[in-house]
Amino acid sequence: MKKKLMSVLLAGTMVASLAACGSTATDTTTSDTNTNTETTTTETQTSDAGTTSGTQEAVRLLNGKPEINDQMQALAAKYLEETGNTLIVETIGGDTNASDELKKMYQADNMPDIFVIEANQAANWDGMLADLAGEEWTDKTGFELVDSSMGTIGFPYTVEATALGYNADLLAKAGVDPASLTSPDAWKTAVETLDSKKDELGITAVFGWCAEPTNLGWSSGTHVFAQYLDAGLKADDTTYIDLLNDGGQIDEARMKNFAEFIGMMNEYSDPALLIDGTYDNQVAGFKEGKYVFITQGNWCVTSPEDVDFECGFAPYAFEDGINTIIAGPPSYWVAYSNGNVDGAKAFFNWCAGDSAQNILVNDAGLVSPFDDCQYEAVNPFYKSMNSYITAGNYSGWHTMLKKDGLQNETCNVFADYAKGKLDADGFVSTMKQVISAYYAQ
Amino acid sequence: MSTFSSGRKAASFISLIAGIVLIIVGLGLSIAGTGNVYRGTMFVCGIILFFVGLYLFPTLKHHRSIINIIFLFPLLFAFIVTVIIPLILGIGYSFTDWNGITMKGFVGFSNYTRMFKQPAFLWSILLTFLFVVFNMILVNLIAFLLALLCTSKIKGLGFFRAAYFLPNLIGGIVLGYIWQFIFSNVVTKFTGTYSMLSDTNTAFIAIIIVYIWQYAGYIMLIYITGLNTIPGDVLEASSIDGANKLQTLFNIKLPMIAPTITICTFLTLTSAFKQFDVNLALTNGKGSVQFLGSYIANGTEMLALNIYSTAVINNEYALGQAKAVLFFIILAIVSIAQVRISNKREVEL
Repeated sequence: MKKKLMSVLLAGTMVASLAACGSTATDTTTSDTNTNTETTTTETQTSDAGTTSGTQEAVRLLNGKPEINDQMQALAAKYLEETGNTLIVETIGGDTNASDELKKMYQADNMPDIFVIEANQAANWDGMLADLAGEEWTDKTGFELVDSSMGTIGFPYTVEATALGYNADLLAKAGVDPASLTSPDAWKTAVETLDSKKDELGITAVFGWCAEPTNLGWSSGTHVFAQYLDAGLKADDTTYIDLLNDGGQIDEARMKNFAEFIGMMNEYSDPALLIDGTYDNQVAGFKEGKYVFITQGNWCVTSPEDVDFECGFAPYAFEDGINTIIAGPPSYWVAYSNGNVDGAKAFFNWCAGDSAQNILVNDAGLVSPFDDCQYEAVNPFYKSMNSYITAGNYSGWHTMLKKDGLQNETCNVFADYAKGKLDADGFVSTMKQVISAYYAQ
Repeated sequence: MSTFSSGRKAASFISLIAGIVLIIVGLGLSIAGTGNVYRGTMFVCGIILFFVGLYLFPTLKHHRSIINIIFLFPLLFAFIVTVIIPLILGIGYSFTDWNGITMKGFVGFSNYTRMFKQPAFLWSILLTFLFVVFNMILVNLIAFLLALLCTSKIKGLGFFRAAYFLPNLIGGIVLGYIWQFIFSNVVTKFTGTYSMLSDTNTAFIAIIIVYIWQYAGYIMLIYITGLNTIPGDVLEASSIDGANKLQTLFNIKLPMIAPTITICTFLTLTSAFKQFDVNLALTNGKGSVQFLGSYIANGTEMLALNIYSTAVINNEYALGQAKAVLFFIILAIVSIAQVRISNKREVEL
């Protein structure tokens, strides 16, 4: 009898523990219908308060820029204050890529209502993104992401530009006019002048250019490569990206000119930075005035307090007459069509308005893509960037439309060229081979 | 027949039937995606009712086996849910065109044929085997030497043992970043050339160095245990017979720790095959190499990292899954061989 009692007791405990496991399982399955209980990453303190008072269901936004997380939280607080609606900002930070995290969230049925994508990732989400056409904000910008099958899907939250960022004070001291840098010959003369005045200017090298592939592959493989695709082209001109996406073809003559220009950058770079450098070294060197040019964009110096000189952009003029920089939104916010689309639309309309732009522009240091935005960006590159944009001398971010992952292959070619393993012709032929092999896969 | 009351029979059958019905309804609601809040509760209650019914089942002959099943169930359930089902699903996914988000259809064996046509993947396999061979030899050699050192009569033995073992406690990602700094900022100061990591061949050596640094301490501990189990009288007898230190080492110590050597060899073998974190943090697989007539951009990318980047970076989850199936087969063969050989040795000794 005792034994039986024992076994019943044990079985009872087991069943109870199973039930305990089971009840937590039900908790997780139900929580996805109730977004307010989510505590995956950083969350606003307002989310608890907002659930009851909000006129609409809370909207979850996945932010891919960890550097502006604090400002995004401020934005959420402002949104709650002005409209009574709740915005929950979750930030993907560090080395975690937002697109990887999104796939996990999708598998776990835990999708945010608004998330960040790059233009070439739109096809992966085919049929799952809401069409935002006709929304109020679309009339105020020309930068929205339009997809041929899904319509207007992307909300531009910032405009970024990349070209050769320069230190205007150093150029002035050396007597080089940045406006003249629109041909390979002009560049060559200017670079030689600067190089000969190295000691006088107190610089380490003319270019702060880093072709290290492990950590900075995105810079060479996506941003510098972008110049081959777009430099000198109008924003809607897709000649070379179309050629590339047509089975991975390249224009060899253009690539050769590009290679010559990169060769000049390799020659006049800081050798320590060129092959082994890091992003931090590169940006720090530019801020300290060790380099005249930097191969990054307006994101590398966001606050006027960081630098005591004037910044600007010069084009990668590897062919005569190239006078454009690449400018536009590198990534977009999109609304998940199975999520809270109305909430997302309401947020986008509010976000294009004055109080939201105030936070994004003045606090987060972003450049507004909206025509009626009254705030001038604090970014030190803004003046130069704006002069290109208003003159229409800007090209698109078509590099974001190349096949996903190509930059991981091409960045090695840049690195080999920098190390001297390849010459300009070798660069072109290897590029050609690597790209066509990648597209063939 | 009169052993069981009709009340118990009725309770058993009712619980069994109600349990099965609840399980089916709960599962059905989940699969249909209705989002019904009670589907999980239904499922769990169904399982509990089913087992209550099973427990009350009117039989004496099978009662013991029923109890066994009930007790085993939680473990088996967890094992099936976390291991068996993902394995089967994974193999299933390798025959599709899944990209991590959508799945359009089945593609048969095309992922498997495609992966063997990728020079980069073949290079990864070759590199992994090279890495395994180098590591198996070097890690064991160095670990054994360290073990000899740490079983001798030097001062501060405890400190040395702890110091050699410590790197094993640091995660591979952290180690990777630490050594990346050492290779590109410290070593270059002395050599005056480019970092070891910037060239494929030297980067491969760098990965091996870091891996040995991380793993040798752990293997050393196992060797120390092995060396300490050698009976003192055997060593004493050999020294009385006039064996010198080398003779003791090769003729007494090594044969006595043969089983330890087998264990350590297989430990290094399997862990070197699965190398991922140091590889990711140190070089991220970058490096160029000419292989099979084409320029390969992932010169230091080993199998596990190749699977990861195929799936996650290039959005080819199904292809990555097919590679993972191959990886599973290779590891399974290695593990089975390990168990076989270890068992044989144990019988011999």
